[in-house]
Amino acid sequence: MRIEKCYFCSGPVYPGHGMMFVRNDCKIFRFCKSKCHKNFKKKRNPRKTRWTKAFRKAAGKELTVDNSLEFEQRRNIPVKYNRILWNKTVEAMKKVESIKQKRQARFIMNRLKKGKELEKAEAINEVKKNIHLIKAPHAGQARKLEEKMVQKLAEDVEMDD
Amino acid sequence: MGKSKQVGNHKSDKKKNIAKTWKTKRRTKDLDQIHVDMIPTNAAKLLKQDVDYDVAGCAQHYCLHCARYFVDLKTLKEHFKTKVHKKRLKQLREEPYTQAEAERAAGMGSYIPPKKVEVHTQQVEEDMQ
Repeated sequence: MRIEKCYFCSGPVYPGHGMMFVRNDCKIFRFCKSKCHKNFKKKRNPRKTRWTKAFRKAAGKELTVDNSLEFEQRRNIPVKYNRILWNKTVEAMKKVESIKQKRQARFIMNRLKKGKELEKAEAINEVKKNIHLIKAPHAGQARKLEEKMVQKLAEDVEMDD
Repeated sequence: MGKSKQVGNHKSDKKKNIAKTWKTKRRTKDLDQIHVDMIPTNAAKLLKQDVDYDVAGCAQHYCLHCARYFVDLKTLKEHFKTKVHKKRLKQLREEPYTQAEAERAAGMGSYIPPKKVEVHTQQVEEDMQ
């Protein structure tokens, strides 16, 4: 008995759950819930359906290439029960899982950083473009003119002297 | 992404019984099956079938990529010019999705991007008229 993976969404299919479809060329498809089966019947492409794991991987939303992903595998060789080996395996699984979780979380945070940068740049750009809404274009110009006049007058007075 | 397939033919009779077309009883060929059909040895067999009176056009005019039989050469050629056919070719240009890919996506191995496949409309014999 093993926990299979859903063909459509890659979720776990526990024994006694979901359904199995055998196509007329003997190929087996397992689905975790009726939603996945219905989408399969409608011939949707899991790579292009936003909520599936396949989409998230294909679109670069999640960690795709990493050594921590290589541990879980379909091993078709039965192993004789050995208490020490069993305990060690359980320990290792826990460790691998924690490392995987950390790496995945870090990947997502790094991915989101780019958006924040772009948002900031966009905000600065918007302020620059619409500066006339904050500061009137001719604000302070009258004062500048006055200063210029005063300077000129002073220069003229000096020249006369 | 989740765009509806129905574009511009709201009143089409074909789409009146859409639930029936989704039944596994009348399931049409999947893209991965067509990829198997596209292997030259299989393709040759499918394109030169024996006369079968139960199939449209006695199984003499078959579109490999759409898995459809046509009545005669003229309609087959007409079909090659349609949107349905071109859309299908585009879908076939990507390697088919497999259970292995689903498992890789679930965390059993690293992601391998799908390969591109070159697909062209089949050649039709001109003298067969």
